Amino acid sequence: MDRDLPSSCEQSIRSPSENPAEDSLSPETLASLRSLVITPSTPDTAISSIFQTLTRSLQLSRDPLVLHHTLKLFSDLASHRPSLSSSVSELVRSHALLSSDSTRLAAESLDVLASIAERGGTPVDLDDRSFVSLCFGPSVSVRSWLLRNAERFRIGPHVLLTMFLGFTRDPYPYVRKTALDGLVGLSKPGVVEDLDMIQGCYCRAVELLLDTEDYVRSAAVRAVSAWGLMLVAFNLETKLYWSDNLFVKLCSMGRDMSMEVRVEAFDALGKIEIVSADILLQTLSKRVSGTTKGMGSFGQCPAAEVESSASSVAGVLVHGLEDEFYEVRKSTCHSLRTLTIISAEFSEKALNLLMDVLNDDSMYVRLQALETMLHMATYGLLKVQGTHMHMFLGSLMDGNMSIRSATRKILKLVKLPNIETFKLSVDGIIDNLERHPQDEADIFSVLFHIGRNHGKFGMSIINEVFKEMELASEGKLGFDTARVAALLILAISALLSQGQHACNIPPIIFSYAVTLLGRISVALTDIMNQDALLAYLSQCSRSTRFSAMEFNLREDKPRLPAVTIASSSHSSNEINGTVGSPFQQGEDVAANLQYQAMREPMEVASSHVGYHLEVQDEVIRSMNLIFAKVKDIWPLIQSGFTNEVLRVLRSFKEELATFTSGSLRSVGAVAFALQYLRVVKQLAKVWEHFLPARKLCSGMGELDIALGKLETRLRELKSRFTGLSLEQELQILELLLLTCTLRLSKVESYCQVASLKKLSMTASHVESILKLGSIEPSNFMSEVGKLSYLTRTSSFGAPCDPFLFKELLKYFSLEQFVVFGRIDHIKAELVVPDNDSENHLPFVPRLPVGIPCEITLHNICSENKLWVRMTMDDESTQFVFLDLDLFGSSDEVRKFTYVVPFYRTPCAFSFTLRICIGMECSFEDVPPVKRYGGPDRELTFLCQEKEVHLSMTLGFNSSGRAVESDIRPKDLDQLCMIILNKCMLAKSWS
Amino acid sequence: MKARQRGSQKERKFPSMAIECLVLGAGQQVGKSCVVVSMNGKRIMFDCGMDMAYHDHRRHPDFSRISESGDFDKALTCIVITHFHLDHIGALPYFTEVCGYRGPIYMTYPTKALAPSMLEDYRKVMVERRGEEEQFTSEHIVECMKKVIAVDVKQTVQVDKDLMIRAYYAGHVLGAAMFYTKVGDSAIVYTGDYNMTPDRHLGAAQIDRLQLDLLITESTYATTIRDSKYSREAEFLKAVHKCVLGGGKVLIPTFALGRAQELCILLEDYWERMNLKIPIYFSSGLTMQANMYYKMLISWTSQKVKETYSTRNAFDFKHVLNFDRSMISAPGPCVLFATPGWISGGFSLEVFKQWAPSEMNLITLPGYCAAGTIGHKLMSGKRTKIDLDKDTQLDVRCQIHQLSFSPHTDAKGIMDLVKFLSPKHVILVHGEKPKMATLKGRIYSELGIRCDDPANNETVCIPSTHHVEVKDERAAEGILVEEKSKRAKIVHQDELLLMLGEKKHDIRFAYCFPINTDNLEDTKSTDVSSSSNALSMSGRCSWLPMLYIKLSDELSGGNIQYFGEQIQVESFSVSLCLKDRCPYRIVDSPPNKCEAVFFCCTWSIADEKLAWKIISILENLDYGTC
Repeated sequence: MDRDLPSSCEQSIRSPSENPAEDSLSPETLASLRSLVITPSTPDTAISSIFQTLTRSLQLSRDPLVLHHTLKLFSDLASHRPSLSSSVSELVRSHALLSSDSTRLAAESLDVLASIAERGGTPVDLDDRSFVSLCFGPSVSVRSWLLRNAERFRIGPHVLLTMFLGFTRDPYPYVRKTALDGLVGLSKPGVVEDLDMIQGCYCRAVELLLDTEDYVRSAAVRAVSAWGLMLVAFNLETKLYWSDNLFVKLCSMGRDMSMEVRVEAFDALGKIEIVSADILLQTLSKRVSGTTKGMGSFGQCPAAEVESSASSVAGVLVHGLEDEFYEVRKSTCHSLRTLTIISAEFSEKALNLLMDVLNDDSMYVRLQALETMLHMATYGLLKVQGTHMHMFLGSLMDGNMSIRSATRKILKLVKLPNIETFKLSVDGIIDNLERHPQDEADIFSVLFHIGRNHGKFGMSIINEVFKEMELASEGKLGFDTARVAALLILAISALLSQGQHACNIPPIIFSYAVTLLGRISVALTDIMNQDALLAYLSQCSRSTRFSAMEFNLREDKPRLPAVTIASSSHSSNEINGTVGSPFQQGEDVAANLQYQAMREPMEVASSHVGYHLEVQDEVIRSMNLIFAKVKDIWPLIQSGFTNEVLRVLRSFKEELATFTSGSLRSVGAVAFALQYLRVVKQLAKVWEHFLPARKLCSGMGELDIALGKLETRLRELKSRFTGLSLEQELQILELLLLTCTLRLSKVESYCQVASLKKLSMTASHVESILKLGSIEPSNFMSEVGKLSYLTRTSSFGAPCDPFLFKELLKYFSLEQFVVFGRIDHIKAELVVPDNDSENHLPFVPRLPVGIPCEITLHNICSENKLWVRMTMDDESTQFVFLDLDLFGSSDEVRKFTYVVPFYRTPCAFSFTLRICIGMECSFEDVPPVKRYGGPDRELTFLCQEKEVHLSMTLGFNSSGRAVESDIRPKDLDQLCMIILNKCMLAKSWS
Repeated sequence: MKARQRGSQKERKFPSMAIECLVLGAGQQVGKSCVVVSMNGKRIMFDCGMDMAYHDHRRHPDFSRISESGDFDKALTCIVITHFHLDHIGALPYFTEVCGYRGPIYMTYPTKALAPSMLEDYRKVMVERRGEEEQFTSEHIVECMKKVIAVDVKQTVQVDKDLMIRAYYAGHVLGAAMFYTKVGDSAIVYTGDYNMTPDRHLGAAQIDRLQLDLLITESTYATTIRDSKYSREAEFLKAVHKCVLGGGKVLIPTFALGRAQELCILLEDYWERMNLKIPIYFSSGLTMQANMYYKMLISWTSQKVKETYSTRNAFDFKHVLNFDRSMISAPGPCVLFATPGWISGGFSLEVFKQWAPSEMNLITLPGYCAAGTIGHKLMSGKRTKIDLDKDTQLDVRCQIHQLSFSPHTDAKGIMDLVKFLSPKHVILVHGEKPKMATLKGRIYSELGIRCDDPANNETVCIPSTHHVEVKDERAAEGILVEEKSKRAKIVHQDELLLMLGEKKHDIRFAYCFPINTDNLEDTKSTDVSSSSNALSMSGRCSWLPMLYIKLSDELSGGNIQYFGEQIQVESFSVSLCLKDRCPYRIVDSPPNKCEAVFFCCTWSIADEKLAWKIISILENLDYGTC
């Protein structure tokens, strides 16, 4: 490494010349030495020779510049080579630089020593005498440096105080500023305990409020504030006097021309905790109030200063709030947080101003204003009035998310004076929801809180708008609108507000609310969980005269009264708030209580077993609501808003998804509803092709695929559910008719004959059902019936006019599905154990293989014909009939294991089968293409297709020799099974 | 020049040169601002406005009072113009081009840019519409503007060796400035018009805390105290919004520069927030051009505009369209900005006639309208019938909203500024007499500052009294120095020479006297010439040591030094005088005693006693005993 030393410094390191004058290091040398010092890889030998060189330079050089750099290098050495720091420290100390002629160098060496000390070296003990004498040295920068760094040298506080006080008179403004900052640092309790001294510091700082330099003035404001607060705290008797005095002094700086000074002044005002009411009120009015003029008194101000004090205080906060600089406005808003606690009258007036600030062009200021309001609300000081609402609710429309969220936080806590403001707020929140749907969760939570805080208002609103909701069933109101959702939440919460109120809210509303369960529970996670919410909702919707009270009394344990606790704590807040004592803690406790108590009843309620029956009813009720809403979207489908429709359907589906936790009984209904939604979705997609605009641009195949899908879905709907009433069945049949009509009304459609046949069959089916009950057929049904009768009677099989069918479409409209009673879902579960893409079943090519299946069947009766369909990669399919008589007798659930034989194994090393259980559709009389051993009718599949992986574990290679492989016991079992299968096969063939 | 002060008196007043303030306009009235200030031999004219209310000679300041002879170049050091309003600049072309002032004129860059169009506009109105004899021509305006030196905010301009001026931001209108002027140690601030609260497009006035002898401030609203601008803005927006929602039309008569931009920024913000689609129109090209000026002079606008203009220039109005005359009777709501502000004629009057009869419409009026204009008539009470001229009467049914947006500071603002600057003296101009008197009283009672409100053509003399405060009596010994045009100060006597750049004068006494050497050395040679030569030689060598010994004996304890050529005791020194005619020789050598030896001595006054003592010793020297 030594060779890397630059020659010049090498020279200066290696050959100390005899003549000290020649020995002074050049700046270049010093620079390269520095680079060596800070490079960690420089070897220690080089470092130590650098150290020696520097030591020599320090001892011999008289050039202040060189000395300066040398000291700097020593400082670097000490910081980069901790091992050297003590010797550096010693060297600098011993070198008596402290007493040298140059104060600048003395200060620099002090700096080196102090920084070594701060890294754990020996502390620097600068005696007071040398400190003072250095301060009085000629160099201004050294002076302010020393004053700034006095703490590092452990100078006694009293010496410091004297020094700082003295130097507040320094002709150099920066020294004055530093001295003031130093004074601020000393304004700690325990440092200065003497009243006169505190007062002295305060008065000196006050003097400097009039300094010509901005930064001195702003330091002076800090000092005045710090020492003023010391004075205020000194003695209880004089507390108000000094507080007023300090307040007036700070206010007088509120109109300073320098932005920094103003910010300091308003920041400092926010630290004052007590001040005479008349002074405080004067800050909000630029006119000096008449009483001040008349009485000649102003807080605790001395009589002689009343006039000037009043004029410096006058309107200072108004000025602060309308300042040109947002920093000042923000600081003013912030200071209002503490000031509003002092006086209720003041807080009321300040609120008027704060509301205006919501119109500010700076986001920071608006946000701060809202935070101040939130603070006021927590202290129960936010007395919102009607005149505020326009401005206040306007911030719910703000483009900025944090502003909106801050506004909502306030709304959660605010106490609204009357129903008008309540309505305005609710409308504002709903507007917010409509314009910014992404805020939904928070908005619901706000609505919940606001409704609970204003139960009476909430209830009256709900009763008013209930009519509006009722209209929804007539198709006037989209049920998925934000507005309805919001109102539902309000209704839920209103009931929780006051236990003793008999609830006038129609119970149906709560069942509506169930449809939004998922969304609501997400919003209310902090209050209750989903189960509790559901329990609560279903409870509410069960009885027409249900009240929260009733709900409480169901159990012996006290539960919902928690809400009363919360509300009583609110009212006590108000009382406390005017007194001005902080009670944040109490608030939290109350909130906790409330939270606890809210959760408890819900959990207890949901643990009741019998409860689930009601829940199920609820599920069905809410399902019906969804069906109602589905019916409402038919016009949308007709007019081709397919995307819109799909979106809405998706949301319904999500709602339905929240009912999964229900009982077995409701599972069927939910599955039915989901299937119905799928049908409608497919219908919407199909319908797109029949819109005038789409006439030319839709491909034939696309429509056929869509129609095919629709048929499949309908078939599933028709055949996979039991317990449907005749009407329901008719509705499904109507949809089937529609599908056929759709097919027939397109010229492009092929196999018209089949479709026609299907149509007439379905129509006759419909007729037979109509004969059974006293059900009025829909227009569409009767029209289709007529047409099908015509086609049947005339030339059967002849191609007929698609336009006739197209005309029929006009008659169709989606009827509302109503679910009552129990619907059972026919479904199957099929598992092939121990089989996945890693673990294959063994097979022997060209020989049948048995596939062990664990099958669970739900709600399947013996009449149903079930088939196992197995499809290979090449789409060749094989069906195996499942004889239900072989497996148990229970209709509801059958669970068994069955080894399904697959005969036509390919000649391959491995292959994949897709296996699935299907059921013959009983109603479809049109036989499909007959296949050997296959089902007679179309199949509806009861489960998802499963993939089964098979591979040739034991087989023959192309030469006919046996392929060696390790056969595990498990494989042996399989082999046995194969053989067994073979035997069975032989038996069945025979 | 010199005074010496010792002892206990803590404050003394020394009369010095006064600041003379001649108010040529805007004294106890609003209009034709013009104040001529003389200080320390410099004479500065602040503003050169015209009074729009008069059409005779009274519209101009009485320039003859500046100089009887009309030699204004000699009489004035410079002219300073605060902003481009006609009551501050209107008479300038007349003064420079017709009266012949050729000295320097200072104004800010925006004022220089905007003033010509204002002046030209005014000239056109005067000459072309009213058919008056023109006071100055377009060429005059151009020539006048050539003399203008533009300055920037906070730029210090040294007009000449002694006179320094500096502009400070004043709000009010684009480019308005307050001017700090300093000659020697006398300093004043002339505010022009200013605004102490910011608005949507301009900032608040901003100035340093200066040591001032005099503050000349406007006092348009000497007694008004305005409430928060937030509520005023909200009221205005509410009124406008209500009107357009009801399908009405809003007419906002404004002058091209200033309020139009402020209100437009306000409306734009609101339109944006409330997502309104109703058109906002600007009536004339001038206003659009004015917007362009604002865009270019962005550094003179408010903090907010300055901060955001890199992303979006606040003067790029999104919703604003140009108005076409044919749209006046078009149906549907709209907002229209039209000139002039007081509905005194022009386009705003034309539109007013059409829109005023409908109850749906809204007319907003500026805070101040000149007497005699329709705006003024509308303001003064609920007038339903307005006489347009002798024959026509207009039935005014529309709503009227009075805007209290004003670019002038209110009384609170004036007090705040005076308090902040704490000058020794205040002069109020540009206001109404009774209100000024009230404010004057407040300034004196609340702030303890002397205040005047001179009428036009009155001169106020500010005795620029120097206060020298001595706080620490122990340090109260020094020399009080008061130089011409500078503040009096106390210096230590050691500092004085340094400060004055003079050498120290030392008063020394000198005396040349003979000592009779008759009885000395009889053994001397008889050759007179050679002996005298020898004598002088030997005397030089021997006599001074002899004297030294003698003195050492006589003056025990004195600090006697012998330097070979002279003997020094304190400041007293003595040496042999070899000159034939020494200026300090009082007694000539005794005629027959050629042996007499002359000694020349000097001393300073401090050692006078000592000197005479030594001299007497020397004179009475008994040389015989040596």
